[in-house]
Amino acid sequence: MSRNGKIVLMLLLAAAGISLAVIAMQREEIADPVARISRDGVVLKEIPLDQVGRAYSFVLEDELGSNTILVERGRIRVSQADCPDQVCVDQGWISDGTAPIVCLPHKLVIEIVGGGEAFDAAAG
Amino acid sequence: MRRLALPALALALLLTGCGSGAATVQNSLFAMDTVMSFTLNGEGDPQALQDTLGELGEIIHGLEDRMSATDEDSEIYALNHAQGQPVSLSPETAELLEQALELCRVTGGALDITAYPAVEAWGFPTGEYRVPGPEELDQLVGQIDYTRLEVDEADGTAVLPAGMEADLGAVAKGYAGDLLAEQLAEQGIDSALLNLGESTILAVGEKPEGTPWRIAVQDPAGEGYLGVLELRDRALGTSGGYQRYFESGGQTYWHIMDPATAAPARSGLAGVTVVSSSGLLCDGLSTALFVMGLEEGVQFWRDHQSLEFEVLFVTDEGELYLTPGLEDSFSLTEEYRDRGVTVLS
Repeated sequence: MSRNGKIVLMLLLAAAGISLAVIAMQREEIADPVARISRDGVVLKEIPLDQVGRAYSFVLEDELGSNTILVERGRIRVSQADCPDQVCVDQGWISDGTAPIVCLPHKLVIEIVGGGEAFDAAAG
Repeated sequence: MRRLALPALALALLLTGCGSGAATVQNSLFAMDTVMSFTLNGEGDPQALQDTLGELGEIIHGLEDRMSATDEDSEIYALNHAQGQPVSLSPETAELLEQALELCRVTGGALDITAYPAVEAWGFPTGEYRVPGPEELDQLVGQIDYTRLEVDEADGTAVLPAGMEADLGAVAKGYAGDLLAEQLAEQGIDSALLNLGESTILAVGEKPEGTPWRIAVQDPAGEGYLGVLELRDRALGTSGGYQRYFESGGQTYWHIMDPATAAPARSGLAGVTVVSSSGLLCDGLSTALFVMGLEEGVQFWRDHQSLEFEVLFVTDEGELYLTPGLEDSFSLTEEYRDRGVTVLS
């Protein structure tokens, strides 16, 4: 094989390696659970739950009201809210895509996408 | 730059290679006082699926505009505030009122779509909860009587005596789900999950990989899922005291009213899930069976086999009762493995 041929081969191998790496990363991205927080259909925040180190919380506030979100590795919940029914707080932690947390008065939805769903929906 | 083009091309080929024309589209919307989520699967043009998804949303919002009890521009609001005068209705509202009245009759009034004054008195529509006294409850009971609601479907009119109020909350989502499923059938979409807010779910066809839709059933007493129903081409309706409630003086009061007492139904059941081919039937019957309680509900199931519905009852003590038609499609989750399930006969 000529010197040029070797370079082409190495480049091809490198290219294949890079593309495989990219594919693997994409697969990984789909496989990991991501908490998607949206208000009235507009995505506010996406949190890859497997990359959470120390637990943390933050407040989402607008003219409709405020919700305090608590995040731990692999799971998420609403820990406090000033809505009248407290349904979002009462639901507790979610860790898969079976059922989203919904704060109806504040039009806030926390759903988990990816990570494999144990169920397609929850009845209740 | 040329070196980079190759992996990009390889990646594109590999990614499109897995596609084979199958598409999944999903959408969530706020309607009928809940969050709905629709998933459609199909072959071919994803944009066509996306368009269908948009049409489903329009159907839902159209129904909500006509049938909401709280929207002052709705037909039901007009009916409730017409002081005994006839009001004209759209064909859908007239049809649903008539079908809902039929369910009221079949269930002997365990479902009563004129129980709305009680729902209001307890504060559920506004969230300003209160516990009405015995005299007020007596008076409310007198305002609840579906037989006094007259619907003329041919004329498209209805009359309700002054002081009475109708509400389609117990049946509207099921009816809406049936309309959506019809729309999908017309467009040849045979794999979809229509989640009309967790209390009403329609599993259209099966999943693209040829397996049934897996619907988790919430434990009324806790945060977990007690079991899973595997459904193909079936609707599901769930009623439970845990769905909407308030606490006062150490007591829990929920939104499902017993028409006979104008107070939250306390029948010993914590949750009822009904499975059939009709969303409307599932919705209406789950409420009625919750009001009836286990014994009367089981008898109702035995006496109305022609309606072709199956039931999962969960009692206040956490006992599970299943009609035999669900035996193969229901299984307990890992955490509830030890829970006994009684199959009815």
